[in-house]
Amino acid sequence: MSELNLKTRREFLRASVLGGAVSWTVPAFLSQTFDALHAQAAGQSQAVTGKDNTILVVLQLAGGNDGLNTVVPVTNDHYHKARPQLSLKSNLHKLDENFALHPSLTAFKELYDAGQLGIVHGVGYPNPNRSHFRSTEIWHTASDANKFEKYGWLGRYFDNACKGSDPTVGVSVGRQTPQAFTGPRPLGISLENPETYRMAGNDTPEMDETAGSMDFMSRLNGAEGLGADASSGTTIGSVTGPVQSNLSPLDYLERTALDAQISSERILKVSQQAKNLVSYPASQVANSFKLVGRLIAGGLPTRVYYLSQGGYDTHTNQAGAHERLLRELGSAVKAFTDDLKAQGNADRVLLMTFSEFGRRVKQNANGGTDHGAAAPLFLVGPKLRAGLLGQFPSLAPADLHNGDPKYTVDFRSIYAGLLQGWLRTDPAPVLGRKFDAFQSLRA
Amino acid sequence: MLKPLPASRWNYATAAHLLNRAGFGGTPAEIEKLAALGAEKAVDSLVHYDSRPDTTPNPEWAKVDPERMQQYKQMRDATPAEKQKMRQEEQRERRDELQELRHWWLQRMVAGPRPLQEKLSLFWHGHFATSAQKVKDAYLMWKQNDIFRRHGSGDWLTLLTEVSKDPAMLVWLDQAQSRKQQPNENFAREVMELFALGEGNYTEKDITEAARAFTGWSYDRLNQEFIYRRNQHDDGPKTIFSKTGNFSGDDVLKMIVAHPQAAPFITRKLWVFFGNEKPSSQLVEALAATFRANRMQFKPVLRAMFLSEEFYAPEVMRQQVKSPVQWLVGSVRMLERELPAQQVSANALRQLGQELLLPPNVKGWDGGLSWITTSNLLNRYNFAGFLVLGENPMNAPKNKGGKNRRARMLNGKSIAVAKLFPEDVRKDKKLLAAAVQKRLLASELKPEHRNTLRAYLDSQGELDDLDVLHALRLVMCTPEFQLC
Repeated sequence: MSELNLKTRREFLRASVLGGAVSWTVPAFLSQTFDALHAQAAGQSQAVTGKDNTILVVLQLAGGNDGLNTVVPVTNDHYHKARPQLSLKSNLHKLDENFALHPSLTAFKELYDAGQLGIVHGVGYPNPNRSHFRSTEIWHTASDANKFEKYGWLGRYFDNACKGSDPTVGVSVGRQTPQAFTGPRPLGISLENPETYRMAGNDTPEMDETAGSMDFMSRLNGAEGLGADASSGTTIGSVTGPVQSNLSPLDYLERTALDAQISSERILKVSQQAKNLVSYPASQVANSFKLVGRLIAGGLPTRVYYLSQGGYDTHTNQAGAHERLLRELGSAVKAFTDDLKAQGNADRVLLMTFSEFGRRVKQNANGGTDHGAAAPLFLVGPKLRAGLLGQFPSLAPADLHNGDPKYTVDFRSIYAGLLQGWLRTDPAPVLGRKFDAFQSLRA
Repeated sequence: MLKPLPASRWNYATAAHLLNRAGFGGTPAEIEKLAALGAEKAVDSLVHYDSRPDTTPNPEWAKVDPERMQQYKQMRDATPAEKQKMRQEEQRERRDELQELRHWWLQRMVAGPRPLQEKLSLFWHGHFATSAQKVKDAYLMWKQNDIFRRHGSGDWLTLLTEVSKDPAMLVWLDQAQSRKQQPNENFAREVMELFALGEGNYTEKDITEAARAFTGWSYDRLNQEFIYRRNQHDDGPKTIFSKTGNFSGDDVLKMIVAHPQAAPFITRKLWVFFGNEKPSSQLVEALAATFRANRMQFKPVLRAMFLSEEFYAPEVMRQQVKSPVQWLVGSVRMLERELPAQQVSANALRQLGQELLLPPNVKGWDGGLSWITTSNLLNRYNFAGFLVLGENPMNAPKNKGGKNRRARMLNGKSIAVAKLFPEDVRKDKKLLAAAVQKRLLASELKPEHRNTLRAYLDSQGELDDLDVLHALRLVMCTPEFQLC
């Protein structure tokens, strides 16, 4: 308590002195209103490590990625028969005698050859749901298809294993909080642009304020045209899921404002010091990875980063769009892994991709595919069991469920494996019950 | 049934609540006026908006493009280089028009004579959640927006039918490309899941069968209108909701609106938007009953809602997180300032997390607490500084005189405090603190925050206009101000 008050007082004094006689600055004003919250938070605050813990990066391929045209079952007749125009036959990147990667996943092929890519076949869940929103919610909350969970699996991980952590324990890139991050108490921040991620008027002499203020203005005046982060031509740009909390809206706001203030100082420092060590291609998903690469370089105490790439809802004219999406995905991940390697952080970082569902085996009349079920999931990192994992589901028409492949691996067993092996926590309290941990890490 | 609000509870606070929710808030003078009318007249003045003339002209380009045919022809005959140039030109034009359309709409929300009509348009835009990202045509986006304005408080089946046959929707959910041989399920799925019934009230089979019934509904690109292509329609028998017949698309919409879950689904969503996020099942049933009793017309149910005691309950009043649009439009109205320039307003809304005409997906914005993230909140606080001070808040402390050229270029003047508060209030710390809270919150800050505001004012010497501006800004940077 007394220590807290001291800290608060110090912050407050610093802010008011800087604000001078002109006015109280907004941060000073807020610090004052935060007194009570600071008191609660301080007793719990964890030492900031940031340099040694493992990091999980989760990437959502929003819209339902067509798994069959991503990890292609080249020798499967059912596949080619069901997709007379869409099935892929040439320029593929061969993985083994039966499977190959989409032609634009050159970067993934390199990772595969280097033993840094794990592909889990047939990931899904019982009683699959074909609604984007419901299925996204199921993946985010790790619930059964017939049950509704309020909080996200990562939010429950923060709540169970990271109590009292710095708010940057979870960082979601973008403007939204993914449902996966929601928990009884909000924890984790959302971050779009580190240059403007701060309360105006919070400048201390050592800060270079020009970058931030120029950025603020240019972003207000810039001609970005159609939304920079929406993906062209599909109905699913992003799906984050609703946020729920047991706090009142006012308490939720206060807590978020406090987290914003605490994290902004740290983010600002990182944004001034940390640099990417490689160049990234130009795409929305590459920009997101670039930011994560920079934050990791800056040593934030973050355990989980969350990113999203939209546009996978390919009901019509799928071929071109899918080609572009996967090319952007592959090249972004390649730059990211190169960056981590150059930083010396590669061993600490594991990337998992997921999509709310795969797509129907049979193509539709518009050169596209409709919502499906089980699909492959990618894991990237040097500590993985690399290669093709799990069991590929049968595509024989008699084995399909409403035209979709049946899952062979429950996604929650992958979560369980990562929680246990990578984030080093007991998965059962996070996932609500015991799932067989899928062994995706090298022993 | 809904309980009517007792006359004794009609006052400044309840009138402010009504104006916040059925519109975009307003000035103390506007609220006083509503409060003086009494609940019934106040609600009627908002709900019966069609009796008030609206003479806002449509955007100049908001009509079928007569040169379209010629452009298509030119495009077809062009060399690849010419084609690319034409495409770029078209893209630029489209971007400008969309920007103009957004601003046209925001301006209607800020200053138009019919606040509820615009609030409903915003509701329906979030409900039918069509994005220009795929539609790529400002005229079509305007046309859909106009449907919301014309039918937003009318008959459910009419609205649903109009929207389903609306070119923007036909493009958005691929209905325009659905063929008899292999129907596209996208629209059939979302009309049941998201627009009219909700998950669990239909089967996968209902969707595939309905998709067959909708075949033939298409989009005539040349005339930019709906077209029925008879030879693409599957006129065989279909089984939907356990009934079998040679249903057409219109039949399916009728069956959907006649479904027992249709009334609770849409009235619940209305309540979530206008009231609060978690209506009880009894409340939803009462709303649904009112809706059914009025033959699925929205106006009577809106009127009953705004006159109900439930609407003014403590768990509803001042408990809604302002959407970015509500935040921006409401702030502009309360501060009695102009809407910032077209591009600035659009970019601000993007950074606050709600781009008009570009919802994130077909489900629309999640709303509620989802509006609030650390990043969005920082943007709100910083943008509040810009709205009040008219200068770049990121360097405001060192730039009181507006020396920064960039900042001055765009801004750039602060709001007129003399218009908001009389001189005696501006000079009196206690009166000013109360007046700022009344104007921005129609209520008070919680005690800790109130004391901090007072402490700030007390730390100043004699108050000048800049102190008043700062006080306004500080209150906009409280959790309370993010709620309405």
